[in-house]
Amino acid sequence: MLLIKLATKSLLNRKASALLTLFTIAISVMLLMSIERVRVDAKSSFSNTISGTDLIVGARTGDIQLLLSSVFRIGHANNGVSWKSYQYISGQRGVKWAIPMSLGDSHKGLAVLGTNKDYFEHYRFAKKQPLSFSQGHEFNHLFEVVLGAEVANPLGYQLGDEVVIAHGMGNTSFHNHDDNPFKVVGILKPTGTPVDKTLHIPLAAIDAIHGGHAHQHEAAQADANDHDHDHDHDHDHDHDHDHDHDQHDDVDLVGTPKQITAFLLGFDSPLYTLQVRRNINQYKDEALLAIMPGVTLRELWEMLSIVEKILLLFSIVVVLISLLGMLTSLLSSLNQRRRELAILRSVGARPWHIFTLISVESLLITGLGCIVGIALFYALMLLGADYLQSHAGISLNIALLSSYELMLLAAIMVAGFIVGLIPATRAYFYSLADGMSIKI
Amino acid sequence: MITLENVLFKWHAKQPEPTINITKLDIDQGEHVFLHGPSGCGKSTLLSLLAGVTVPTQGNIELLGKAINQLSNSKRDRFRADHIGYIFQNFNLLPYLSPIENVTLGCQFSKQRQKNALKNSATIAAEASRLLSALGLNDNLQHQAVAQLSIGQQQRVAAARAFIGSPEIIIADEPTSALDTQNRQAFVKLLFEQASAANSTLIFVSHDETLQTLFTRSISLVELQGGTDATH
Repeated sequence: MLLIKLATKSLLNRKASALLTLFTIAISVMLLMSIERVRVDAKSSFSNTISGTDLIVGARTGDIQLLLSSVFRIGHANNGVSWKSYQYISGQRGVKWAIPMSLGDSHKGLAVLGTNKDYFEHYRFAKKQPLSFSQGHEFNHLFEVVLGAEVANPLGYQLGDEVVIAHGMGNTSFHNHDDNPFKVVGILKPTGTPVDKTLHIPLAAIDAIHGGHAHQHEAAQADANDHDHDHDHDHDHDHDHDHDHDQHDDVDLVGTPKQITAFLLGFDSPLYTLQVRRNINQYKDEALLAIMPGVTLRELWEMLSIVEKILLLFSIVVVLISLLGMLTSLLSSLNQRRRELAILRSVGARPWHIFTLISVESLLITGLGCIVGIALFYALMLLGADYLQSHAGISLNIALLSSYELMLLAAIMVAGFIVGLIPATRAYFYSLADGMSIKI
Repeated sequence: MITLENVLFKWHAKQPEPTINITKLDIDQGEHVFLHGPSGCGKSTLLSLLAGVTVPTQGNIELLGKAINQLSNSKRDRFRADHIGYIFQNFNLLPYLSPIENVTLGCQFSKQRQKNALKNSATIAAEASRLLSALGLNDNLQHQAVAQLSIGQQQRVAAARAFIGSPEIIIADEPTSALDTQNRQAFVKLLFEQASAANSTLIFVSHDETLQTLFTRSISLVELQGGTDATH
């Protein structure tokens, strides 16, 4: 107790340098904790992106490329899957559901996904959580759109607003089909996945905007299709969709596109997965690739793990540098403090008291540095959470410290203590050599 | 009480003349001894030996019946903490502690001195305050920063620190050199009062021989050195 009190008062007497040292440690702790928290949360956000899907099927390409283009909307698939293949494979035994996905269009830089209603029913993220609506409902008409949470919020869209979809990716597309506005009918709850940044429209509508004018497309489709009645209705509906929302019977929202980008498959039993995957990979009519999302997600993360390891390494080095800073300041102050130590010796402090005193000082600095660092860390998390969510899709978990983080802190404390042993040992020998004679 | 026999001290083995060479020195319990001599005659070294900071190259030093030169380093440290109060020439107060805290520090490393202090007062802080008052440092100065005290006041704090817990031996190493003549005498009288109250042996080192008359016994280190028996 006495030594803790002495160490505290002595540190307060050297406020400027002690505070600087403390602050250096605090910043390094903040950095380490932030990097680790973001890393862990990024990893979980990442592996939470898709679940419940047994296979993702696309044109033959790399596993990771297919995953990136279909799930993360990064890059784009050069080839598609023919509608015929999709229909054939989705009709196989054991297939519980199939979700066609057509990507490649955008709205203000955000991905547009053409799909069917099964998407809202069967798509799962995180721990098999289904998509749910914060407002509205799924699309029932051709020119209706369901927005991801991060589309609706920053752009300020509300139910009933009209959205124009452009052909191609990017903010400034050549084709803005002003005559094909989509009506917002649903907004999804946030998922922390790329779904949040996606506009979902019926698959048939993709063909409609690619065909130029919806009317022509609809007409062409009507000719080539058995569902005359539906298409006529659809046609009518598009003409005056401002007026009669209520009447929709069995609108064909899928149509018969030539190609889709990829599709997701769910099976009655996971036992089908490997067999169907093999069949797809050996499919003769078209070069296709089927991947198991969980496996490929893991492969992708392992590819990124070098970056994560480098980040961790850097933050550990920063902590070490800050501890070395403490060592420097304790050692350099020691020389000026020989007098102080000799006074303590003269009033009966034994060399191990001196040793403990210096150790306690380094523990105090490290401990307070950790506490301040944690405070800074939470401040940073609170400030940065929104930015990371909207710019990187990482949902930060502003929770209490995890056991892993507590372990990191304990490691820093131990490192601080070990570093503190160096000046403490030196002081011990000073005090043995100097005795009570005060040389300075 | 304090007995030195055939004490020889050299800083290093090849030193031709020993720094200390004392055949015999006896000091009784409760004596107030004035130890004087010119600079460089080995006063500080003798005090180091008496305080058990250094051990003689040859010979025996007995303090309170214990051969201190035969104790281990840590036992000597403990002995010093328990039985010796030391007043330095430049007071050596810790600047970041209040006067009260500086004084209590004097007994915080020794259980025995804490026990002694608690015989006089309810707490060691109260005892520190009592000693400071007895030495003429009033209450409102006792909690001020040490650096704000005058030289004379700092010296009272240093003296109180040596006296707290009534150690059997008080060693004062030129404590008055920073004071003017009048204050010196007043200060020495205060030391006497406290030493008598605790029945402590006081060894007072100074080269100011005007103070000599105040003491019952005076020892010249020059005479003591070189093997002459200086016991009066």
